[in-house]
Amino acid sequence: MKISPSYAVFAITFAAAFSVAYVFAVEYNWALFTYAPATGTFAPLVTPAAVGPAMYWYGWIATAAIAAAPIAALASLVPESVAKRIWPGWSWAIPIAVLFAFGYLLRGYFLR
Amino acid sequence: MWITLLIAHGLAAFMLLGAVTHQTLGVWLPARTKSASFLNRLRSVPPASYVNAIVVLFVATMILGGIIYTNYRIGARLTLERGRFWKTFGAFELKEHIVTIGLGILPAYWYFWRAPLREEQARTRAMLTTVLAFVVWWGFVVGHLANNVRGLGT
Repeated sequence: MKISPSYAVFAITFAAAFSVAYVFAVEYNWALFTYAPATGTFAPLVTPAAVGPAMYWYGWIATAAIAAAPIAALASLVPESVAKRIWPGWSWAIPIAVLFAFGYLLRGYFLR
Repeated sequence: MWITLLIAHGLAAFMLLGAVTHQTLGVWLPARTKSASFLNRLRSVPPASYVNAIVVLFVATMILGGIIYTNYRIGARLTLERGRFWKTFGAFELKEHIVTIGLGILPAYWYFWRAPLREEQARTRAMLTTVLAFVVWWGFVVGHLANNVRGLGT
């Protein structure tokens, strides 16, 4: 299967942008929608559940994907000469940094 | 239904764990000899042959996990809080974020493993595979621990 070289830029940028967007979505609770598991209902953005807890995780994923996809799509438009100079390691280095960031943000659970 | 979904999630995770572990060993410690030892056979697999299975299993496992997560949120999670199992609780909170980061790197993982493999991308392939292996191992172990504290159907 022949894949356009611009897909490499898309994939690298998406991995990095998605990770960064996700950590911000979690930290600032930018959920695209909320799910209330007790009633099985969805609500837009951050909406407290009428009954039981509210789940934002699905909304955070959606927010991160919606933020990262256009960034990656725009990045994939760069000329091939520029694309060749983009370090593919951003696709794993930034996600690893974000994993450490989550460890730091949630450290309280492990220090009690 | 929840128990069926949990078992399906566990089985998918188990297959994913095996595939990504084989691939990671094949990437970092490829077999140099034709010894018939268990360890040698474990790492003598062609790593590229696992890619599509890993992508499909990762997505399937995450979808199943995402469904049963709703039950965890109104059941087992409350038990973890009331019992003050904070380390297990925190590890599970981390799990939801770690697997999401794994989902985000899947397009890059798939791209860098597509044929023909380019030598100059070997480090990127190895690192993406390693991150994915960490994600899968964390998810598997923590999911198992949380289930031991208060599994579905208990």
